[in-house]
Amino acid sequence: MNLPSEAPPSRTRWRHRRDRLATGLIAAGGIGVILAVLAIGVFLVVEVVPALAGGGLAVERLHATLTPLAWGTLKAAFWALLFALPLALGAAMHSALFMSPRLRTRLKPALELMEALPGVVIGFVAGLVLAPWVERHLAVAALLLVTLPLGALLAGALWRWLPVALRRCLPLAWAGLWLVPWLVLLGWGAVALAPPLEGLLFGGDLRAWLDAELGLHYAARNALIVGLAMGFAVLPSVYALAEEALAGVPSGLTEGAQALGATRWQALWRVVLPAAAPGLLAAVMIGAGRAVGETLIVLLASGNTALMSLSPLEGMRSLAASIAIELPEAAPGSPDYHLLLLAALALFAFTFLVNTLAELVRTRLRHRYHRLGGAP
Amino acid sequence: MSAVRAALQRRRPRAEGAGAWLAAGCVALSLLLLGALLLLIAVRGLGHFWPASVSLVELDDGRRLAGRAVRELPLPDGEGRERLYFTGNRGLDGQVWHWLPVARIVAESRPRDLVVLERRRWGDFIGRLVAVEPAPDAVAAGAGNGATAWAQLEARLAALERLREARDTLQRETIRPLARRLEADPGDGEARRALAAATARAARLRAAMDETILVLESVDGRRLRQPLDEVLAARRPNALSTWEKLAAWMQGVWRFLSEGPSAANSAGGVWPAIFGTVLMVLVMSLLVTPFGVLAAFYLNEVAHQGRLTRLVRIAVRNLAGVPSIVYGVFGLGVFVYGLGGTLDEWFFSDALPTPTFGTGGLLWASLTLALLTLPVVIVASEEGLARIPDHQREGALALGATRLEMLGRVVLPMAVPAMLTGVILAIARAAGEVVPLMLVGVAKLAPQIPVDGDFPFLHLDRKFMHLGYHIYGAAFHGDDVQAAMPLVFATALLLVLVILVLNLTAIFLRHHVSTRHAAPSRR
Repeated sequence: MNLPSEAPPSRTRWRHRRDRLATGLIAAGGIGVILAVLAIGVFLVVEVVPALAGGGLAVERLHATLTPLAWGTLKAAFWALLFALPLALGAAMHSALFMSPRLRTRLKPALELMEALPGVVIGFVAGLVLAPWVERHLAVAALLLVTLPLGALLAGALWRWLPVALRRCLPLAWAGLWLVPWLVLLGWGAVALAPPLEGLLFGGDLRAWLDAELGLHYAARNALIVGLAMGFAVLPSVYALAEEALAGVPSGLTEGAQALGATRWQALWRVVLPAAAPGLLAAVMIGAGRAVGETLIVLLASGNTALMSLSPLEGMRSLAASIAIELPEAAPGSPDYHLLLLAALALFAFTFLVNTLAELVRTRLRHRYHRLGGAP
Repeated sequence: MSAVRAALQRRRPRAEGAGAWLAAGCVALSLLLLGALLLLIAVRGLGHFWPASVSLVELDDGRRLAGRAVRELPLPDGEGRERLYFTGNRGLDGQVWHWLPVARIVAESRPRDLVVLERRRWGDFIGRLVAVEPAPDAVAAGAGNGATAWAQLEARLAALERLREARDTLQRETIRPLARRLEADPGDGEARRALAAATARAARLRAAMDETILVLESVDGRRLRQPLDEVLAARRPNALSTWEKLAAWMQGVWRFLSEGPSAANSAGGVWPAIFGTVLMVLVMSLLVTPFGVLAAFYLNEVAHQGRLTRLVRIAVRNLAGVPSIVYGVFGLGVFVYGLGGTLDEWFFSDALPTPTFGTGGLLWASLTLALLTLPVVIVASEEGLARIPDHQREGALALGATRLEMLGRVVLPMAVPAMLTGVILAIARAAGEVVPLMLVGVAKLAPQIPVDGDFPFLHLDRKFMHLGYHIYGAAFHGDDVQAAMPLVFATALLLVLVILVLNLTAIFLRHHVSTRHAAPSRR
C-alpha cells in the first residue's frame, strides 16, 4: 500500500482521473440498467397507443374480446383472495402476537419457501390432482371446508378443559404446530363422515342435488379450484407483509392495553389492528396484484373457457392466460397482436399502480410507527 | 348455578376467545397445506421409479390380464368397487388402461416369470418372454423355457449396451471429425477412405444391434416379435427381492436424470430439460449479476439521494411485483421481434425468411429472465449496501482513498454476501418461471441441446427445453395424461427440490450476513 504522500503527483492524478471515470461509468451503467427496467411500460404504451389512436383496434371488438377476459381475471382473483386473505391475515395475527419467537423464526422461512414454489407445479397439482378428486368427492371437500375452521375453535374450547399438565405441554404459543395433527385427524373424520351425510342430506349425490335444486352446473375445473390454488400461491406474500405490519406496531401500545385489563386478543383487535390497518391494506393490495397477474395457475386449473358467469362452479379465462396462449401465434403488427399488448398494458398498469400505492402506504406507516416510538 | 359457573371459571385460565384459536388454526392450516403438497409431490414423484409388482388377473368370463393395479374406486352405482390396471401392450390392445370390477375377478396371482419391458415405441410390454432369437447353439430355439430365455435376454441387453457405446464412440471420435475434415477439404483422399471404413464399421455395429429378436407372449396367448434394439429396459418385478427393487429404483432415478425423453415426453428422462434449465439460468445470472450490482451501486452510492432517487427506488421495487407474463410480452416484442429481427437483417440475411435470432431462443429467454430478476438483485444488493455503516466509508475516504477505491476495497467485500443472496433468489425465481419462456424460446422437444462440439459451441439462438415447461407440456398436451402423470410428478419433485435448495442457501446466507455485520461495526 502506498501512502498518498509517497505517491508521485502523476500517480495521484491518474488515480483521481480513474476515479472520476469509474464513477461516471457506474452512473451511466446504473442509469442505463434502471432505464432498461423501466422501459417495459414505455414499450407497451408506444406499441398500443398509436394502434388505439389510429383506429387499428375497433372498439366493439375490444369490448367483445376483453370483457370476458377481464371478468375472468377479476373472478379468479376474487376467489383466490377470498381463500387467501382470512388464512394469511389470521396466520399473521397469530404469529405476530401469540406465537413463540422460536417457532416464529422457523415459520417465516417455511412460508418463504412456500412463496418460491413454482406456479406450474401448483397449477398442475390443482388441475390434475385436486380438480378430479374434488369432482369425485365433492361432499368430502365441502365438509372439509366447514370442519377445518371449526376444528380450530373446537380445539380452543376443548383446551380449556384439559388437565393443567397437558395444557402446559400444549401452549397457545405453539398452537400453530400442534394443531396440525389435530386438523389431520379432523380431516380424516370428515372423509369418513361425508358419504353417510351426503346420503342423508343430498340423496347420495351432491353434484346432482346442486344441479337439480340450485341449477348450478359443476365443472371439474372451476373458480373454486383456481381460488384454492391461487390462494395458496398468494398466501405467503400477503402473510409476510401483514406480519411485518403487525409486528412493527410499537409494543407500548399492546402493553398499555393489557395493563388496562384487555386480553391479548382484545388488545390485538382494538389497538393493534387499527394501528396496523394501512399495512394490512397494503398486504391485501400486493396480494391482489399477484392474483391478477398469475398466469399458469389459472391456465392449468381453470377450464380456460371465456365464460361470463357468476357461478363459482364454472371455469373462466384470464387476461394473462390468453396472452400466454395467443401471443406466440399472433403476427407482429396485426390487430390481434395489439389487442394482446393492450391486455398486457392493462395488467402492467394495474399491478404497478396497486404496488406503488401499497409501497406509499407502507412508507407512511413506517413513519407513523417511528413517531409512536416503536421499533422501525 | 352461577356459583358453580364462577367456581369453574376460577379454575380455568382466562379465555383468549375464539379469535385467537381461529388465528392459530390459520397457521396450522397453511402449514398443513404446504406439507400436504410437498408430501404428495415427493411420494408420487419418488414412487414412480419403484418397480411395482405385476399381477395376473383372471376374470369370470375366462379373460386373463396382466398389469399393475393403480387405484380402486367404488362403482358409480354404489354396488362394489372397480380397480384400474395399467396393462401396457399398446400395440396389441390399443389401450393401456383397464377398469375391472373387483367382483368379477376370480383369481389374482403374481407369477415370477412375468416380464416388463420398456420400449422406445408402443410404451411398456407386460407378459411373458418365450425365446430369444437367434438362439445360441446350446439351446434349442423356442423351447419355451422362460428362465433360460431371461438369462439370455439379460446377457444380450448387456451386449447391446456395449454395442451402443461402441457406436457412439465411433460416431463422436472418428466419423464426425473426419466429416468435418472432408467438409473443409473435399480433396482429402485419406480422410475419405478412413470415413468409408468407419461408416462400414458403424453399419456392421448397427446390423449386430438389429439382429436379436425377442419372442414375447401376452398372458392371453398372443405372440409378438420384438427387436431387442427397441427395448430400453427389462425386468421381472415379481422375482425381485426388496434389495434388488431398491437397486432398480436407484437405477430408475439415475436414468430419469441422465436420459432424454421418449414416447412424446410421456416417458423417459429429463436430461435435456435439466441441461436447458441450468444453462439458461447460468447465462441469465451472468447477465443479471453485473447489471444488478451496478444499478444498486449507482442508486445507493453515487446518485444524489433526493426525491427522484426515492421514486426510482420505489419503481424498481414495484417491478418485482409486475406479472411475469408482462415481461414475456416485452421480451417477445423488443428482444425477439425488435432486436432479433434487426440482427437477422444485418447478419443472417441469407437465411431469411427463416429466422435465426428473430425467433425465440436461449439468448432472448435469458435476457428476458435477467430483466425479470433484475429488481430482485437490485433490491437485495441495495439492502446489503444500506446496512454497511457509514463510518466504514468515511474512514476509507479519510485515509485518502478515492471513491472508487473505497467502493472496491471496503464496501464491495462487505456487501458480497447480500449480493450473493440476491443472485441466488433471482436464480430460484428464474428456475421456476415458465410463463415468459412460453413466449421467448422454450421448446417442448428440442432436438439438439444448445451446447455441442461445433463452432461457436454455445448456440444462443437455439430453442431449449425447460423443466417447468416440460411439466406443463407433458401434463396438458400429452395424448395420455394418465400415463404421463408419474413422470410429471417426478419432474415437479426435481424442480421443487432445486428451488428449495437454492432458497435455503439464500436464507442461510442472509442469516450469515446479519450475524457478520454486527462484528465490523463493533470493531
